Amino acid sequence: MGAVDLTQFHKTFFEESLEGLDAMEAALLALDSGSTDHELVHTIFRAAHSIKGGAATFGFAEVAAFTHVAESLLEEVRSERRGVDGELIDLLLRSVDCLRAMLDHTSHGLPAADADSEALRGELVRLVSGEAAPAPAATTAAAASVDGWAIRFVALPHLLQTGNDPLRLFRELQQLGRLDVCRAFVVDAAPTQLAELDPGQCWLGWELRLHGAVARAEVAAVFDWVEGDCELAIEPIAPAASAAPVAPVAVAPPVAAPAASAPRPVRETAAASSEGSSIRVGIDKVDALINMMGELVITQSMLSDIGEHFHPSQLERLREGLLQLERNTRELQESVMRIRMLPIGSVFNRFPRLVRDLERKLGKQVKLELHGEHTELDKTVLEKIGDPLVHLVRNAIDHGLESPEQRRAAGKNETGTLRLDAYHEGGNIVVQISDDGAGLNRAAIVAKAEQRGLIRPGQEVDDAEVAELIFQPGFSTAAQATDLSGRGVGMDVVRRNVRDLGGSVGVRSQSGKGSVFTIALPLTLAIIDGLVTAVGEERYIVPLISIVESLRLRPEMVRKIAGGGEVFHFRNEYLPIMRLHRAFGCNAAITEIERGIVVVVEEEGRRVGLLVDDLLGQQQAVVKSLEAHYQRVQGISGATILSDGSVALIVDVCGVVRLGQRSKAA
Amino acid sequence: MGGKRAAKNKQPTAVADEAAVVCLPADCRLAAQAALKAQLQQVLQHGDIVIDAQALERIDTAALQLLVLFRRELEHNGGALAWRGTNEVLHEAAALLGLEQSLNLPTATSA
Amino acid sequence: MAKILAVDDSASMRGMVAFTLRGAGHEVTEAENGQLALDAARGNAFELVLADVNMPVMDGIAMVRQLRALDAYKGVPILMLTTESHTEKKMEGKAAGATGWLVKPFDPEQLLATVKRVLG
Repeated sequence: MGAVDLTQFHKTFFEESLEGLDAMEAALLALDSGSTDHELVHTIFRAAHSIKGGAATFGFAEVAAFTHVAESLLEEVRSERRGVDGELIDLLLRSVDCLRAMLDHTSHGLPAADADSEALRGELVRLVSGEAAPAPAATTAAAASVDGWAIRFVALPHLLQTGNDPLRLFRELQQLGRLDVCRAFVVDAAPTQLAELDPGQCWLGWELRLHGAVARAEVAAVFDWVEGDCELAIEPIAPAASAAPVAPVAVAPPVAAPAASAPRPVRETAAASSEGSSIRVGIDKVDALINMMGELVITQSMLSDIGEHFHPSQLERLREGLLQLERNTRELQESVMRIRMLPIGSVFNRFPRLVRDLERKLGKQVKLELHGEHTELDKTVLEKIGDPLVHLVRNAIDHGLESPEQRRAAGKNETGTLRLDAYHEGGNIVVQISDDGAGLNRAAIVAKAEQRGLIRPGQEVDDAEVAELIFQPGFSTAAQATDLSGRGVGMDVVRRNVRDLGGSVGVRSQSGKGSVFTIALPLTLAIIDGLVTAVGEERYIVPLISIVESLRLRPEMVRKIAGGGEVFHFRNEYLPIMRLHRAFGCNAAITEIERGIVVVVEEEGRRVGLLVDDLLGQQQAVVKSLEAHYQRVQGISGATILSDGSVALIVDVCGVVRLGQRSKAA
Repeated sequence: MGGKRAAKNKQPTAVADEAAVVCLPADCRLAAQAALKAQLQQVLQHGDIVIDAQALERIDTAALQLLVLFRRELEHNGGALAWRGTNEVLHEAAALLGLEQSLNLPTATSA
Repeated sequence: MAKILAVDDSASMRGMVAFTLRGAGHEVTEAENGQLALDAARGNAFELVLADVNMPVMDGIAMVRQLRALDAYKGVPILMLTTESHTEKKMEGKAAGATGWLVKPFDPEQLLATVKRVLG
């Protein structure tokens, strides 16, 4: 049998190990908050155990060595030889982090262990009571001078019920050397009447002789599975052969497992780089898809039936069939989209740990509430929403929630509440991060904004505008950037990340009562709600989420500025006009501004007016990547196919706004 | 399975001078022993018994033990055990367990 | 070649076992916990069962106990896939009726050798 290539299972191993670590972390946190559920300990143990087994099997020796010690420690907990305290949970949580890093390194073909992991492993080893020194090598039998072995083997009645058949044992002995059955006997205790016999019980015994230069351990290994299921004596046959055998003494085979316990050679693992991200899909979703497919096939056959022998009298049936087809298609589309949907719980699950760490670091007391973990989001959105959410949670604990003393002074519960909610609203997913802290510090924000030149000194700002200020680039009210929410990024980055996902973020705040950050995200990135516009012979789609207003300009509203740019007056400011026909080089488009329509779009707080010929209506557009099919085009985020089969390009509002800003500056 | 088979179309249970035949099933391992035991119990008083191993493909220690104990009790009752259609599977297993004599198996094989 | 049931909650371990055995010509059914294994066992005549010990829903020990209660599985070899650090688990498995064990980590060659050992 040639070597079997196991690298194909590495990816699965990494995935399930990371899932196991997530489960382990969640269980550790649950234990930390006082739960005594024994199943939690089992969950933690099982995760460590599986990772260890897999790591060893697939040749990741360092990961296996680390989990081995962790598992030993957990075994003590499981068998209640060790209690659980905060310190132990800390250590195990650090081990979880360390294992994540080790797995990450390993999956990239890098050495898993480093000084940190070794130090942590050392801590674990010291804690494990009496970590067994490596067992001394089993005494290798001095078998060289032995002619063979006299074996007395008497089955205990239950032997057969373990699936062990003496026939198999004897066949194995035959592999080692020449086997003689000197005597086979029925033991005295056997029932004498067939009626009393339970055929599943064994009442036989044998005296065997195995000839050949065989080590005792090899003979014992044949019987290793039946220890306790038989009486066994293995005595050397002296070279003289005729020497009367000493009265056989029952000898238990050595417990030490045979060769299997020898350390496995570490396999060099090629960087498992064939990434290709995959997705796990619940079987119910696949079943729904198959069902839908079945209905579609029925509709199709019905329609082709009508088509083959068409008669005008069947018009009504045809119409019905088409309606059914439309419904099937819509349902199929929804089912396919659902395949990409994953519960937001996988992101929420990070927060108990984060909150715990922050509490300790900042000396605050926080009660975390998670709601709507089952709300599903597109996989891509889900992967990208994690960082913004982490930032908001950090921010809420760092800046929003007060210290226990401050809270007590304010007549509040010393423990602050941080609440994460996820739910569907319209075609969007809404994620809310609410705290019952001090709320936005209006005075500090206004002062900072003045200092940064975001507002004029003494300028009147209402609450909504104050809230908007914190999302401005470069704004940060923290007296000093802590290593928590500081990190050199502010809320502007959060907003940009959310916008990149086609979403929006805003905040409501009440002084002394707390703040609510609300993120609205599209269900999926693959479909956008767009406004179809005409520019010459072309069609462009502007994402609805970016549109502020559409209007027809009168000639007197437009000003030409130096450098050839055009601006128009809109709600107390001048916005640059971006002529899409010029930007994208379209023929036969309307060039007089007052005959066309200006669509005001906003991105990153900046607005421009896009000049188009006409508005054709709203439509959901399935986004096709231009990069994948053609190449990246400035100002275009993708393409879609309209209902008449023609191709329309989707305007990348961010890119266009940047182009517009440049032309305004010019 | 197996079932009693009438030698020369006669009911074995009804004919005393004719040896009753018990057929071993193809898979004569632990799961088949309860049925086999029931059959053997029925013929314990019928004097000479023939065990037909023609269909036998797989056998285990439990089956051979049952047959050994059956023969012991049968002879105690004055009957004798004979074989028909013995094959390599049976001989190999019986030889390996050293039970050929206890089963009164014919020594010559490869027929 | 034999009909074998491979039970492990770890998809990678299960995959490795199934892949190796299929490569040797065996017919392998996979189950991810003891309960699913029992369901599969009831409808099939497996000649060998390989089972992990630590599994959610129903662990390997409970599974062996219930398998042995089925007439069709009284003498069928059941091997536990276990780690050497758990001698007591081996004993528990044996007490439940397991035939033997395969010590993790094992490589495909060891797996095939052990399977050959049991199937004869």
